[in-house]
Amino acid sequence: MSSTEQTTKREHGTTASYIAGFVLSVAFTIIPYYLVTRHVVSGLPLLATILGFAVLQMIVQIVFFLHLGREKSPHWQLSFFVATAGIIFVVVAGSLWIMHNLHANMAAEASKKLVNGEAIYQIGGEKTGACQEARANHQVIIRDGSVSPLHIEAQLCDTLTLINEDDMARVIAFGPHDHHATYAGEAELVLGKGRGKTITLSESGTYRFHDHLHEQTAGIFTVAPQ
Amino acid sequence: MAEAELAERRHEAAYNDRVMFGFWVYLMTDLLMFTVLFAVYAVLHGNTAGGPAGRELFSQPLALAETLILLTSSFTAGLGMIAARRGRKQQVLLWFGITFALGLAFLSLELREFAEFVREGHTLSTSAFLSSFFVLVGTHGLHITSGLLWMAATLFFVVKRGLNAPLVRKLTLLSLFWHFLDIVWIFIFTVVYLMAFV
Repeated sequence: MSSTEQTTKREHGTTASYIAGFVLSVAFTIIPYYLVTRHVVSGLPLLATILGFAVLQMIVQIVFFLHLGREKSPHWQLSFFVATAGIIFVVVAGSLWIMHNLHANMAAEASKKLVNGEAIYQIGGEKTGACQEARANHQVIIRDGSVSPLHIEAQLCDTLTLINEDDMARVIAFGPHDHHATYAGEAELVLGKGRGKTITLSESGTYRFHDHLHEQTAGIFTVAPQ
Repeated sequence: MAEAELAERRHEAAYNDRVMFGFWVYLMTDLLMFTVLFAVYAVLHGNTAGGPAGRELFSQPLALAETLILLTSSFTAGLGMIAARRGRKQQVLLWFGITFALGLAFLSLELREFAEFVREGHTLSTSAFLSSFFVLVGTHGLHITSGLLWMAATLFFVVKRGLNAPLVRKLTLLSLFWHFLDIVWIFIFTVVYLMAFV
């Protein structure tokens, strides 16, 4: 055998090495498949195991099919591969890490507001959509600074009418005082003396509203999704 | 061996090395693109927006069949390369012919799966999960499609001109591309199809 043929075999592999690679990669496919479909293990251990098999599979294919690292020195291909693997790690691990933190912080913030009694401005049920037709109407009357009824329970796409029977104008805002939120596109409703206004309940969830000038004048409405 | 012939061979080997490295750089940058698509999928796969989740949609046996088909095609491409280096034209056509048929089978299974999802009303715009799913798996399918076109063209020239040095070089790059797509698929199989059921 000439030295060129030896180099060829070293760099490109033989039938035997391809068969070995093929058998190993089929095995590394069947085993995780079996673990997942038969529920042999579950949860985090299963996740770690199947990812481990994917990595093993990748190594088998890189060694037996791509023949990486068997080129003559200097190992440019190998170096480039290692650099790429570093970037892959940063992109994947970084994305998951950042998004996980963001998610956890937002959830923590929401429950903190709830616990602190910063009144409810939205809990659960985020279904929002345009309402094709108005349904039942609910009325809330504000008289002598108090709201009646205090808590309205409605269905999505119902309408809510706020009536101001006091001798002064009111600015109705949604959400807790000084942390106003918009509801159904309305930032605030201005109700003149003896005037009312109707809004369509196009967002489900539980919301608080109050008079921005007299925050003790406040009520709650809950919109159930259809 | 004459001096001139030796020099010629050395020159050709150096040229092959440069071409190989250039193609390797392409593969690694392509891998980075897949990495970003995987990261997007990993972040968004839970955002189903009221639509179906992976475990309600995916068929495990189908995913296994696709994986085994692609693995086998990677193997036959390897055998085709051994034949190419030995200058066995008929064997090259046989092994790469099988590789092509398996690639086509893989692609038709994938397209049938996509068509079924769309028919049931689960499209690219249903949810962030499905957007990232279709883009990740679809990008891989597009690579398979271009690999098949490339393979058909190369085999056509092998039939027409015989196994000359430039064609063996093209087959080498093609098989490298094919093994690369196999590795990317292994991660799609694991991260998309298996992890949906964990």
